[in-house]
Amino acid sequence: MRLRIPGVIKGMWVTLSTMLRKPVTVNYPLEKEVLVPRARGVIALDIDNCTVCMLCARECPDWCIYIEGHKEEQPPSKPGGRPRTRATLDRFAIDYALCMYCGICVEVCPFDALYWSPSHEYSEGDIGAMLHEKERLADWMKTVPEPPDLEA
Amino acid sequence: MTGFDPTLAMHHSETQVSVELQTPDMTLNLGPQHPSTHGVLRLVAKVDGEKVEEIEPVIGYMHRGYEKLAEVRTYPQITALVNRIDWVSGFCNEIAFVTAAERLMGLEVPGRAQYIRLILTEMTRISSHLLFLSSYPLELGAATPMMLAVRDRERVLDLIEGVTGGRFHPNFNRLGGVKPAAGGGATQKKLAQDLPAGFLQDTRDAMVHVLGVCDEIDGLITGNEIFWERTRGVGVIPADKAMEFGVSGPNLRGSGVRFDLRKVEDYLPYGDFDWEVPAGTEGDCYDRYLVRMEEVRQSVSIVLQAIDKIPSGPLQAKVPRVIKVPTGEIYVRAENPKGEMGYHIVSQGGRVPYRVKIRSASYSNLSILPWLLKGALVPDIIAIMGSLDFVLGDVDR
Repeated sequence: MRLRIPGVIKGMWVTLSTMLRKPVTVNYPLEKEVLVPRARGVIALDIDNCTVCMLCARECPDWCIYIEGHKEEQPPSKPGGRPRTRATLDRFAIDYALCMYCGICVEVCPFDALYWSPSHEYSEGDIGAMLHEKERLADWMKTVPEPPDLEA
Repeated sequence: MTGFDPTLAMHHSETQVSVELQTPDMTLNLGPQHPSTHGVLRLVAKVDGEKVEEIEPVIGYMHRGYEKLAEVRTYPQITALVNRIDWVSGFCNEIAFVTAAERLMGLEVPGRAQYIRLILTEMTRISSHLLFLSSYPLELGAATPMMLAVRDRERVLDLIEGVTGGRFHPNFNRLGGVKPAAGGGATQKKLAQDLPAGFLQDTRDAMVHVLGVCDEIDGLITGNEIFWERTRGVGVIPADKAMEFGVSGPNLRGSGVRFDLRKVEDYLPYGDFDWEVPAGTEGDCYDRYLVRMEEVRQSVSIVLQAIDKIPSGPLQAKVPRVIKVPTGEIYVRAENPKGEMGYHIVSQGGRVPYRVKIRSASYSNLSILPWLLKGALVPDIIAIMGSLDFVLGDVDR
């Protein structure tokens, strides 16, 4: 017959053994965990790649992307040619108070203008400040990591 | 010593009042905050002393209108939405929905994509059941298992995040496979979203830890005297009643019905592996706890087998750029950690479905609560409620 150890003793044993072990938690604001490269923290914008096609804004499930642009006349590429118009980006803003971090905008962008970055420390006291304009979005580009190697 | 002395009362037998002691029924209101951190539920209980006469769950506080919202969203957008129905098992919610849409479109999902889906589904099931194994003893007053299970659940969630980019809301399934590339552009398109290097080995290590924490909780809680007193013979659901109320998942299996949609339906290649459906005998809270504990072990075994067998190949079938689902209607159900999760999709051939009806497990599991809690003791309310393991996001949708 197996001897039944009372639960209290077992519990105290767990307490004792845990006390002697190293904690698994990280002392957050002082130490920081390194997040996986695919983590969806914040969306970075590569301004030069954006062609104001509006695909991301249209595919966004909760319409949190605001894009404004205008057409600019370009000089003809060779003398005697026809002057071309080119769309120029005036405003690109993502409202992170609305964003649901689904990543559809990054996926549909046909010109590699949007990237995911694992940075996540941009909470604000004022909800209006969660609206990131294009300068701030471009700033996130510095934090975009290299994609991970793949399983063979 | 103060207090009631029965010997004193005997001396005054002449003055004994023959009227029986009665307490008026009291209405007790639990919630609508988090009564036990499952979400926002309100319970209106009519109690007679310590006994529950009648109880009425008031739901709807978390209603987000997903069925209506799905009528004005395209199929890829709905995948992101359904993550949030049962937020502790986001990946499993996607499976039934994408399978339904794929069957309407007649898409064949490549083998590797199916295996990735299966591995992540089972890992989500492990994380959801580990949350139950941590929160249920907590609801009964034991705080240690919470720390133990959450510690190793984090390993599983980190692995899911490594593949999908999200801990709770992966949004990784696409019609015809899994997310094929990071972005649509020429550079990003080359970055396939296949499993990151080292994932398979890391998963093996994590599974060892999951089994370890199961044994740890098993040793600490399963044989514990207080836990036995609180759960054995409490909240008994007979098998016929469980089926009458449409209870599904581990709650149904706890009552002794060996019914698992993973064996019955063929939405993922579960037939390739050797595993068992655990079932209880009594149908009480203790059996429901044991079934979940055993299901974690079975899921670990499925994941380990799937890792060994995973084929290589493409991640997605050929899908048109603009996804239009042909006219028709379909109902596909899948085994969520909580029970049967089904989607009835009616399509009229457009980019958006005409109607999506969601059958969620927690809603049906909760419906047995008024019957189950009738006649229960007030301290048992939380014990019984917790053992059903519902999430209010899954109830209200």
